[in-house]
Amino acid sequence: MSTAAVILIRIGLLAVFLGAWEFLPRTGIVNPMLLPPLSLVIDTLFDILGRGDFREAMLVTTAEVLVAFIIAVPLGGAIGVLAAEHAYFGAIFRPMLFYVFSIPKSIFLPMFILAFGIGFEQKVAYATFSTIFIVIMSASAAVESVKADYVLVAQSYGATRAQILRRIYIPSMMPILLETLRISMIFNFTGVMIAEMYASRTGVGHMIANWGENFMLPQLFAGVVVLAVAAMSFNELVRYMEARCSTWRS
Amino acid sequence: MQHMAQLSPGREQSQGAAVEVRGLGHIYAGRDGAVPALADIDLTVPAGRFVVIVGPSGCGKTSLLMMLAGLRTQTSGTILVDGRPIATPDPSRVGVVFQEASLYPWLTAVENVEFPLVLKNAPRDERRARAEAMLNLVGLSGFGGRYPHELSGGMKQRVSIARGLVQDPPVLLMDEPFAALDEQTRMTMGHELLRIWSQTSKTVVFITHSLTEAVYLADEVIVMSARPGRILDRVPIDLPRPRTYQMMATDVFGALRERVWHQIRDVP
Amino acid sequence: MTRPSPRTVRRLIGLGLLVLWEAVPRFGLLPELFVPPLTKTLAVLWLDRSIYGAALLVTLYEVAVAMLIACGVGILTGAIVGGVATMRNLMLPVFSSLYAVPIVILYPIFTAWFGIGSESKIAFAGVYGFFPVMLSTAAGIRTIDEQYLLAARSMGATLPQMIARVIIPASIPTVLAGLRLGGALTIIGVVVSEMLTSASGIGYLVTMNRTILDSPRVFAAIIVVLALSVVFDIIVRAVERRTLVWQTAGRRTASPEAAAPARLATV
Repeated sequence: MSTAAVILIRIGLLAVFLGAWEFLPRTGIVNPMLLPPLSLVIDTLFDILGRGDFREAMLVTTAEVLVAFIIAVPLGGAIGVLAAEHAYFGAIFRPMLFYVFSIPKSIFLPMFILAFGIGFEQKVAYATFSTIFIVIMSASAAVESVKADYVLVAQSYGATRAQILRRIYIPSMMPILLETLRISMIFNFTGVMIAEMYASRTGVGHMIANWGENFMLPQLFAGVVVLAVAAMSFNELVRYMEARCSTWRS
Repeated sequence: MQHMAQLSPGREQSQGAAVEVRGLGHIYAGRDGAVPALADIDLTVPAGRFVVIVGPSGCGKTSLLMMLAGLRTQTSGTILVDGRPIATPDPSRVGVVFQEASLYPWLTAVENVEFPLVLKNAPRDERRARAEAMLNLVGLSGFGGRYPHELSGGMKQRVSIARGLVQDPPVLLMDEPFAALDEQTRMTMGHELLRIWSQTSKTVVFITHSLTEAVYLADEVIVMSARPGRILDRVPIDLPRPRTYQMMATDVFGALRERVWHQIRDVP
Repeated sequence: MTRPSPRTVRRLIGLGLLVLWEAVPRFGLLPELFVPPLTKTLAVLWLDRSIYGAALLVTLYEVAVAMLIACGVGILTGAIVGGVATMRNLMLPVFSSLYAVPIVILYPIFTAWFGIGSESKIAFAGVYGFFPVMLSTAAGIRTIDEQYLLAARSMGATLPQMIARVIIPASIPTVLAGLRLGGALTIIGVVVSEMLTSASGIGYLVTMNRTILDSPRVFAAIIVVLALSVVFDIIVRAVERRTLVWQTAGRRTASPEAAAPARLATV
């Protein structure tokens, strides 16, 4: 199948999806109270985007996501590299990380609320906490992906440690590092959302939770659309960079 | 020997051509239009012969083998195996041994060997006995319960050979079966293969990159050229059988290998 | 000087954490509101065992149904997406793009649709666990060694035989990894949704006791959730060990490739 055909079919599927979203509630096949028609959601979308409180909430959420990201990625990256490079340290903590990975981190939200209140710091702290483990794991996977052979060849030509880091490690780790950024952002965003939905006075997560509780479905769907588009845009941006960076990979 | 009784009659009894290829050509759709992969292949392999095909990478020898196995369809020409055309895989006429271990890691050695019989819904006792006999033939009696990852590279290829033979097909196709093995194991396996071949009287078509292996094993070496793959030369190897390792050091052996090497080297 | 084995160190760390959990609040280093002593938490858990037991049953019921949905639908969709080239080209990029959306934002929609009872938790956790199962099933089928299929064809396998005897066994390891992750995610999904809007279940106990500042009972619920994930992990490992006797020991442990599906995991 040609690329053009694939794109056409995808556009077709999207059109069917959006069309169903519009017409099923309009014709009453689906209760429009439960699924507001697309046009209504889009109207509401522009409406809430124009509202001061929603824009402020978006700013707060964006700031929380960014700050948590800036803390979690370097910190987790450093620990991950340490775990990969230092065999003993890695052997101790790797299995623990795997376990921590599979427990619901949200159960610790009450502790974060006790420690930080329900403001900005708590969102950042919880999002950092829920992201850092994936960063640690991905970073050690990235280091381990560097083939020992490449390093050996560089050493045999007399490369210094700094040169090996710059010429061997960074380029070979690049695709995985970008992948790490992408996945971390998913976790980070989810963390902020859960924290905002759980207990908060502002933020988009708080607003959609409220809309849901008050059965304001057009607003709720509009908010979900905004968040989904934001998440997917960032994801595609990093994927685009990944594709550009990994052309040398088969 | 017990297992020999279960195999087809000896070489001296089989007659005629086991494999007959007439005017075979193959063109595949490449990135820049049609690419001729094989052209004007005529090949007759009498029953019971051991034929080895050599040639540069990309000469289409694996494609040719796939077509002999019915795994790929040629663009033109005919292929007769055991006197009948082969369009789809027919394990009762053709057994195939692949390069890398294509054994299923979730099956034990004996389960791998009996796999073709399982596909035919053969009764359990019958297929198990048959598979054990084949393992015995390839020198692996007692290893049937092992999983592939518990076997060495050479042992895995022995299991593959046993699997190829389990339905007692007249023709055995082998696509660089020993390429992944180290040199010593490879030599041993070649020798073992000749022993198995002499006990079973199969017609073997064998692909390899190793000229020494080719000359050591073959009744006849077929030399192919690349793009499109054509048959350049057919070198009869009239070294006496059974072959011995000492033969490799002889002048005759060296001259034969030189003749084959000459053909391949001159290919652009 | 010889170092103690990593396992010993891990046990010591675990023991140390438990001791700290008891000692820190006992000596007043942190207020009991923040961390109640371990013994006090366990005592509360024992005292309220009928409440926690009932809540756990609700949670387990939701987890079981959600897991069934996530695994069933996930394996089916994954098999179609991974096995049919057209579907793969068409849908796989779409799915991995959708995966970037924090699924938790759908939960308010589910509560609006299904109410705050078990149905909304099951729907949410089902969706939460679906993605890793689907993606690993697709990956498991897509990455089957070509040689396996070629060999099966050469032995005259029909399509149903190919599926039953080659494709399914060959994709089991990856699918199991996905089920493990999907299962963990369903547990997480159920607990998270119970914490957010609910009237029963372990997650509800966490939230309810938090709002009345009853820290020992919050921590008792946390212990139950931790135990739940440990038990699930032990069960899955046992299943993997039994199913995958044929795998080399090396492939079963945490290689980077094995970690790859894990990267799709959890919050």
